[in-house]
Amino acid sequence: MAADYVSPFDERVRAAEPLAPRPASVQGQRVVLLDIRKNRGAEFLDRVESLLRAAGASPARFTKEIFSKPAALSLIDEIASSGGLVVEALAD
Amino acid sequence: MTDGSGSRSDGARGGGQAPELTVRGTGPAAPTIAGLTAGGGALLVFVSEHCPTSALALRRLGPLCQSWALAGLAAIAVFEDPLDVAIRTARRLGWTGQVAAQEPPYPASRTYQVATVPTTVLVGRDRLVAGTVTGWDQRALTGLLGEAGTLLGAELAAPPGADPLSKPGCSSKAAIDPDLAAAMSGLDGGDELEEMFERGWTDGLPVIPPTAERVAAMLGGRDGGATLGLVPPAMGEATLERVAACAVLAGCRPAYFPVVAAAARAVLDPAFNLHGQAVTTQPAGQLVVVNGPVREAIGLNSGMGALGPGFRANLTIGRAVRLLVTLTGGAMPGAMDRATLGHMGKLGFCVAEDEEVSPWEPLHVERGFEACQSVVTVIGSDAPLSISDHRSRTPEDLAYILAWAAASAWSTNWWPLAEPSVFVICPEHAQMFRGAGWTKDRLREFMFDAVHKPAGQLRRGETTPLVHAAAPDAQVPKWASPEAIVLLVAGGEAGRYSAVLGPCTGMGSQIVSREVT
Repeated sequence: MAADYVSPFDERVRAAEPLAPRPASVQGQRVVLLDIRKNRGAEFLDRVESLLRAAGASPARFTKEIFSKPAALSLIDEIASSGGLVVEALAD
Repeated sequence: MTDGSGSRSDGARGGGQAPELTVRGTGPAAPTIAGLTAGGGALLVFVSEHCPTSALALRRLGPLCQSWALAGLAAIAVFEDPLDVAIRTARRLGWTGQVAAQEPPYPASRTYQVATVPTTVLVGRDRLVAGTVTGWDQRALTGLLGEAGTLLGAELAAPPGADPLSKPGCSSKAAIDPDLAAAMSGLDGGDELEEMFERGWTDGLPVIPPTAERVAAMLGGRDGGATLGLVPPAMGEATLERVAACAVLAGCRPAYFPVVAAAARAVLDPAFNLHGQAVTTQPAGQLVVVNGPVREAIGLNSGMGALGPGFRANLTIGRAVRLLVTLTGGAMPGAMDRATLGHMGKLGFCVAEDEEVSPWEPLHVERGFEACQSVVTVIGSDAPLSISDHRSRTPEDLAYILAWAAASAWSTNWWPLAEPSVFVICPEHAQMFRGAGWTKDRLREFMFDAVHKPAGQLRRGETTPLVHAAAPDAQVPKWASPEAIVLLVAGGEAGRYSAVLGPCTGMGSQIVSREVT
């Protein structure tokens, strides 16, 4: 008989969320840029922000408490409720 | 065990009614053909974990599943393996579609007449089989996806035309002798220890299989369904039963479990920031320090070789905590655990303080507990650096040597460190401080004051914003405060070797303690 093991894994798989519809253009769109506070990340976002402005978007900057922790739920709620697009970027 | 088909077949299995799937899915309700085709169509990919061609199919098709789903085509990998093996294999290979599993005698494979894995079956909204491809055949699969696109009125991404364009599949377990299939499944008659590796229930070393009986014994009547919280980074739920499974895997005796559970509670405290520690490129592991009567009760070693091998309680308690992070939390080295080097303490690192030899109050008393309480304290820590000092004749000299050994902790010029450096003071060194009447605070203050440099000497390579901002002759200490110096006493009675463990830095990780209950 097969042994009856207790798995150390949490075998639940979260349903994959479908990707949100992609806009044809960022013209006139509010685009949130989240600075996770990784060293020199702000310099990178400065450049992204200027490119977005040149493309007619309205960038908005938010900042996490620290790069190594998940964003606070209040921050996620604030970003989610503010509408527009979000660019989520990872460190390194 | 391969077959040479690798080609498209629209014959007997094309055009007929798609049989219902008899599989176990990852959600509360089993996947059904009706549910899968509700968006317009379904792609059933029959695979097996042991089959290289199945792995190829999952890797090549996996990244496309999300875009297909947006167009209404649901892709599901139907494994001939246990569900946990299926989930992990799918994750590892980048499969982003749904996952299902079937156990012997593999009813789904049988009803779909799958003789070879992988076999890819396209089912339309009308629940008719629109086409089948066996083995890996990039051109045939591209054609099948073209048909799917026609059914859905959309253009679907096809797998890349990279070598190999075709590869024979492997025999489906449903197509071979049931006894042999059961043996191949690893669930019957196989090598139990090897099966643990196949399941991925390991840190790279052999483990004790967590049978229901062993886990029940580990739980000792506790409620296995009770939850201690979510384990980052994958946020797997740390039910007490899963913690017990990790303790069994690690080789713990049931008597150790209260310590393991307390350590699990401690590392899951958000203040500890396990999330950051588990995925960082830093080497940091989770140091578990045990104080109080439980040390003697379960045979934790705080004497000779206190940081090394030889003692089951120390080695397995630390290992159980790391297995919880690695397995339940999903921080597999090389996957979500991104440590550049890591260190051997990440296999498990549990130290008991020698309170009886120490001239000072033990760590848990410093942290507000009573001496009679048993307490686990967790600290994000680097590997130990040994500090030899057989020559100092004054406590000042010895404290100087100990403190300066940590000058390169984290990085040579990274001053000051806000996070804790843990000094394990050996008994002979401790005796010198006892003889001179030094308190713990006095030693800590002396060490803090001893290690400083002018900012101008620290401006080379990696250094801190504080160093850059300071005047060149401004003195910068190694630590941000004396409180960043943690002092423990442990080790053999002979030999003047203490050690320092550098910190996990830049994460805001705090030291956390929990009582053993």
